[in-house]
Formats: sequence, C-alpha cells, structure tokens
Amino acid sequence: MNFGLVGMDDQPDTPPRPDGGTSALHTPPRDILNEETLKPELLAENAPGLETLVKLLNQPALARVYVYVCYWGPVSPPEVMDDLDLSKSTAYDYVDRLVDLGLVERDDSIRPQQLTAEPVILVEPYTPIIITPTVLHAFALQEVDEDVEYFLDRYGIGKLVAALRGAGLHHAGNMTQRMVASEIDVRDTEAMMIIYALVPALAVGREQDPYFEYLFLDVHDQMDLPDLDVQETSPAQPDDVE
Amino acid sequence: MNRESLLSGGKEVIVDANIFIAIGDPSNTKFTQFRSVVQTAGVVLKLPRRVIGEIGGQDTHRVQAALYEGWAEIIDTPNPTDGDAVAASDIARRTIANTTGQPEHEVEKTDTILAGLAIQYVRDRSTSGVIVLTDDKPAKEGIQNAVTAQGYTGTIEVYGLADMIGDEPGGSMRLI
Repeated sequence: MNFGLVGMDDQPDTPPRPDGGTSALHTPPRDILNEETLKPELLAENAPGLETLVKLLNQPALARVYVYVCYWGPVSPPEVMDDLDLSKSTAYDYVDRLVDLGLVERDDSIRPQQLTAEPVILVEPYTPIIITPTVLHAFALQEVDEDVEYFLDRYGIGKLVAALRGAGLHHAGNMTQRMVASEIDVRDTEAMMIIYALVPALAVGREQDPYFEYLFLDVHDQMDLPDLDVQETSPAQPDDVE
Repeated sequence: MNRESLLSGGKEVIVDANIFIAIGDPSNTKFTQFRSVVQTAGVVLKLPRRVIGEIGGQDTHRVQAALYEGWAEIIDTPNPTDGDAVAASDIARRTIANTTGQPEHEVEKTDTILAGLAIQYVRDRSTSGVIVLTDDKPAKEGIQNAVTAQGYTGTIEVYGLADMIGDEPGGSMRLI
C-alpha cells in the first residue's frame, strides 16, 4: 500500500519522467495477475471504466462538469450553466456526453431534470497512479485557474498529482513549500503557486470526495484549509473580479 | 489590531517569495489589500535574492508586479557567516525538521536562511527592528523559534499574510 506517495518516493534506478510519473521500466510485480483477474469477462467489465477516465483526462472542461455534478448533485442543467458559467448549448452538450459515457445519471421524471454522478476511483498500486474526484477536480481547475493551466502545460498531469499530494502535506504542516518544490523538482515559486492554486480541490475534496483518504491517508484530517459550507455555498465565485 | 501599524515604525520588512505568490495577480483582491497595507505603512518590502531562487515563468510576473510598482525591492544579502546567524539557521532547521517530521538533512537551506538573515539585518543595519513575512507555516515556526532562542523577541517579529490582510473568507474563493 504505497499509493499515497505518488512521484515522491526515491526511484532507485530509474530517473523520473519529465511529467513526474514513474518510469515503466520500474517493472511491476505480477502477483495480482492470475487466471481469475485475467478472465476476458472481467477485463471487458473494467475496460469501459478506464476508457471513460481517459476521456475525462483528455477533456478538462468535461471533467469540470463531471466533478461539479458529482460534488454538488443532484443539480439541474440550468444550475450547471449558471454555476460553471457555460452557455446553454455547451452545458447541455457536456451533460449529454457525460450521460452517454455513463458518468452522469439523468432523472427525467421530475422537472427540471436532476443530474447526479457517482464518484470514480482508479488506483494502480504498483506504478503508483491514483485518480479520484479530487484529482479530477485539480485537473479541471485549469479551465478557470491560469496557474493550474500553466503548471499542467509545463509539467503534465503526473506532476500535478504529485503537487496535489505535496500541497496536502504542506497544508497539514508536514512539508514546507520548498520541500515540495524539491521533491517534485519544480522551481520554488512554481511550487508555491500550485500549492495555493490547489486549495479549492483540497478544501472541497475534504468535504465531498469519499475517496479523499486514498490520496491523503495520513493527513486527511490535519489540513489547515478555509472552511466551506459547501452544501449551501454556490461554487461560483462571487464578485471578486472587478 | 490596526494592520498598517504592524508594519510601521521605521522597521525593515524582509519578505519571503511566497507572500507575493499568495496575493496573486494585481487584479486579485488580496493583491490590492496587501499593497494598500504596505503603501499606507510607507515601507518598501525587502526580498532577499536568495529567497526568491530561480525565477522564470508565470510566477515571475507576480513578484515583478510589486517590484515595478516600487513597494518591494530585491536585496543582495551577505552569506550568513555571523555566529548568531548560523546558530539561528540551525535552530530554524531543527524546528522545521521537528514540525514536519522530516530528517534535518531534508530541510531546504533556503527555508532556514531567513532566520539568520533577520538577525544579521538587525545587527548590521542597527535598525529599530525587523519584521519577517512568510506564508509557509513550518518555515515561519522555524524563524519564530530561532528568534526566541537567540533573544531577539523584541526586535524581530514574524508574521504571515493573514496577519496583514485577515483570513481569506472561504466564500470568496472560486471552487470549481
């Protein structure tokens, strides 16, 4: 059980990839692979899950709508439009695509229709790779936060996950910002920037993500973050920008 | 307490790079609040070159906005060879290692030098006092401990961004 230390462990022989992931040369053990887990039937069952996650990770705007529905649902399409500042056609298009992918449930029996989404999780323990709603939220923030966009452009999602874990450790008092910078190999000021930029993903994830502890098993209840009354608070930003 | 008064009184204000990153772009409310506190107090923040480190991306603009507007300046600082400064940095290192649960050799040197610099600054420039601003809690604790242990409690004060502009209300943050 080492999935918490994404990209932060010493990699003895293989240098880290520029995107912060660990190299595939780090041969994973084969003990989880057996006749049972390799049954075509089982593989076929898991494949759509992987496919939809890959789709989300290729479309941050779609990931953003998914995370919104997952955290704040049940919500109606007009709420998606208003809270995420999307045009009507874009909002309906994203919702349709998420429904088609099986990520969002649409209840047409009431008016306005209600959308809900189950949280998704993918853990690949040996590499390690972990995708949770908090990770998807961090990734989706690039749609509204240029610091996250900059970081992803420069370093990719592997390092964003590492930065997310580092930010959690920092806000729990277990690392200074410069320690995070050094561990994930970015400049000091870049680490500071992403640590602040990821606060919304941590603050909301702590309240709403049932899998929050997967990434922050040791520090999930120790983070010093702004308190959010997320149940009642609209996620959109009040008039902060003039 | 009146926040401007924290910075006034002819004290030198040494600031860590994270303060500039935390206040965001000039269009950000926190930026304008912080700038107003600094300008009302009539001080120019001193940002030690070694504390910024290597700069070059989006993060640079943020630091430079304050430099261009003239309420912050980069200062060159001597190596802390002074015995008290080295001792202060050592105390900061031990404190940071303790609070973070990391081994001492894992503590970044840059996180410890503000403690030494503050003490050196008070001595060499014989100012009426030094204020250190940093927004990194473990690093801040390190400086605070070093200042107390070295007997500079009266002349060196350590604050975070929240001491200057108040806590960020959760409701003002864009969540998604």
